[in-house]
Amino acid sequence: MAASRTALALLLFAPLAFFAAFFLAPMAVVAISSVTTDGDTLTFAHYARILLDEYHWDVLWVTFRIALMTTLICMLVGFPLAWYLVRIVRWRTWRRICVILVIVPLFTSNIVRSFGWMVLLGRTGLVNQALMTLGLTERPIRFLGTETGILIGLVYILVPFVVLAVGNALATIDNSYEEASADLGVGPARTFWFVTLPLCLPGAVSGAIIVFALAVSAYVTPALLSGGQITVFSMLIFQQYSSVFDFHYGAALSITLLVLTLVLVGIAGRIGDAGRRAA
Amino acid sequence: MIARLLIRIVALAALAYLVLPLVVITGTSLTQTSYLAFPPDGLTLKWFGVLLDDPSYVSAFVTSTLLALAATAVSVVLAVPASLALARYAFAGRALVSSLFLSPLVLPYVVLGAALLQFGSAIGMARSFEALLVGHVVIVMPFVLRSVLPLLTPEQRALEEASMDLGANPVTTFFLVVLPQIRGGIVSGGLLAFISSWINVELSIFNTTATLNTIPVKMFNYVQYTIDPTIAAVSAITIVAAALVIILLDLLMGLDMLSERHRS
Repeated sequence: MAASRTALALLLFAPLAFFAAFFLAPMAVVAISSVTTDGDTLTFAHYARILLDEYHWDVLWVTFRIALMTTLICMLVGFPLAWYLVRIVRWRTWRRICVILVIVPLFTSNIVRSFGWMVLLGRTGLVNQALMTLGLTERPIRFLGTETGILIGLVYILVPFVVLAVGNALATIDNSYEEASADLGVGPARTFWFVTLPLCLPGAVSGAIIVFALAVSAYVTPALLSGGQITVFSMLIFQQYSSVFDFHYGAALSITLLVLTLVLVGIAGRIGDAGRRAA
Repeated sequence: MIARLLIRIVALAALAYLVLPLVVITGTSLTQTSYLAFPPDGLTLKWFGVLLDDPSYVSAFVTSTLLALAATAVSVVLAVPASLALARYAFAGRALVSSLFLSPLVLPYVVLGAALLQFGSAIGMARSFEALLVGHVVIVMPFVLRSVLPLLTPEQRALEEASMDLGANPVTTFFLVVLPQIRGGIVSGGLLAFISSWINVELSIFNTTATLNTIPVKMFNYVQYTIDPTIAAVSAITIVAAALVIILLDLLMGLDMLSERHRS
């Protein structure tokens, strides 16, 4: 017993020490400075400032609205793609190619992907050219610097997460439930609504919450596609640390975003667990 | 039947949406014009030459590569013992330790980057290669941990015990028995770790300087003011690299994760 304790301590010492020094300690520094002043007195003024300032409510509202729309569109685009890959494609090689196409963007920097959309969505970009050729618009539509532009970019970045989450849920559904439903004379549409959808809902919902959390904390994509016209929450944090140099206030903003994200991820984890138990 | 057709159309449109920006960037990097043109106006590799002639790009490439390699190496060295501890021992606080190591996966990188800048300023480490490295190790270690843990099964354990019963000491057993068994997890987790470090902007941006810069951060700062084919050329290099790594991962462990597992 003593020997195994020593072994455990030996194994865990380095990783725990590293995480304590370079993860927990920095986070503790932020947490502490969010409730102190330069003179090290305790204060909640920084949080009060976030809550009382109307500008922050506007930024929070914009951030949430964008994240919510991103999540909805991601589901609408990602669900059919996941369904197609799991249920419709029968040729293994094609599915393999498709999975690679879904993952390559995940392995490419946010900056590269957002830059791609900066090029595509510009006044003379491919999207406007196509829209004008098709006669859908007479003059180029302004995408950059609008919420629509940010949405297109964020959905692009986050849709692979939905495809993987929903795809995994669909792939692990035991098809005997659906067969039983069909054997009992239920049509395909009703079987989908009352059998398949509820079975893959936990996977889909936890995927959606992850997407929402990532959209709320996104920085690079909104920064590039907003063209300085729209501010989201993570930009406020970056401003405090890079140009305003108010570390206390930046810390309070950071902790707010952190708590928000952890709560969302916690909910997603609960739903995922419940789904696994039910399955 | 109509529903099936609709799903097919939406799915293929979604695939096109996923591929389009990557194709456009790679295409524009080959244009002969000095502005971005797609389809490219004439074909040339001169923008890649411009990159190679620019010392600031070369040094950013070197920094990014060294950073990603070092972060991957350190995270493997930390993750392997951590996963052995988590797989082998039932101890008080095991769940807590496991969530501590995995939590960087869900943490907003902006928050961690800000924390490391603030912490680094306090201990005199801010805006240095070391500050970048420790942050990258924290965010990439979960990838290695997640790939190695599932390989530490009871069957694997049995072989390890056999080795010890036959008189091998723990160190010999680790290198001759355990390591070969978990090598696949280390390689695939290590590749994920390398890529995540290589593409990171949000964490690095707080601790980079004009002279100590990574490729993604340099691109981020550049794109906000200028858009020209050199940036498309850097992007194209990273896209091709990502595609190669994924094809490698696919060959190593098979990425056919979306095939149905319960069809009777």
